[in-house]
Amino acid sequence: MNSWIAGGIYDNVDKFANSLGYENAAIALTLATIPWESVDERDSFIEMLTGEMPQGGKTKNQFGV
Amino acid sequence: MAGVKGKSGGANGGPQYNPANISATGGDGQSGKQPAQYISGLPYGQGQETMQQQLSAPMAAAANPQMSGMGIDLPTLLGETMRLSEPTSAGVDFGAGPGSEVLPPSLGQDQRPIENKAIVEKYLPALMQAGRSTDAPDSYKQFLSYLLKKMQ
Repeated sequence: MNSWIAGGIYDNVDKFANSLGYENAAIALTLATIPWESVDERDSFIEMLTGEMPQGGKTKNQFGV
Repeated sequence: MAGVKGKSGGANGGPQYNPANISATGGDGQSGKQPAQYISGLPYGQGQETMQQQLSAPMAAAANPQMSGMGIDLPTLLGETMRLSEPTSAGVDFGAGPGSEVLPPSLGQDQRPIENKAIVEKYLPALMQAGRSTDAPDSYKQFLSYLLKKMQ
């Protein structure tokens, strides 16, 4: 299975969903498809939007779930 | 004697002398006709000829550009009804007349959950595929679990 790519669309999904809240899944998915210039640009956007550091993706899967 | 601006007759500095004081709609003029306008750049003699034609048969003034509905008094929320045969409570679930069932579905129901579900359904298969990655973080898998529960 492919490695997790930082700044890839699924990483974006993870960051947006966990930063905006799961209840905002649709907008998180939509924002995740934006071709962000860089991870920094994406994270700056999240920080501007939420006023907090981006959430999610800090801990790797430890349980093999 | 030269007039003192704003204090004497003649060129008294009135609003008609203010170049910025123009009608937003161009004004209607006084003659009811379009003024003759010299058209330059025509071959020799034709400019004078077209000028004479305009003077001899002036065109009627253009229609007033104001929108036709601007003079209509719109009803107020609590004013008299304009539909005398329809109860004022028509379309709501109390009082006389039909209830909210007569309203278009888009007015009676929040469409956003349906639209959101469609977006999630569109992406979910690919999201699940990515969730099988050994490097996928827990936070991502928790989000997938949430989506799966919501979609059931």
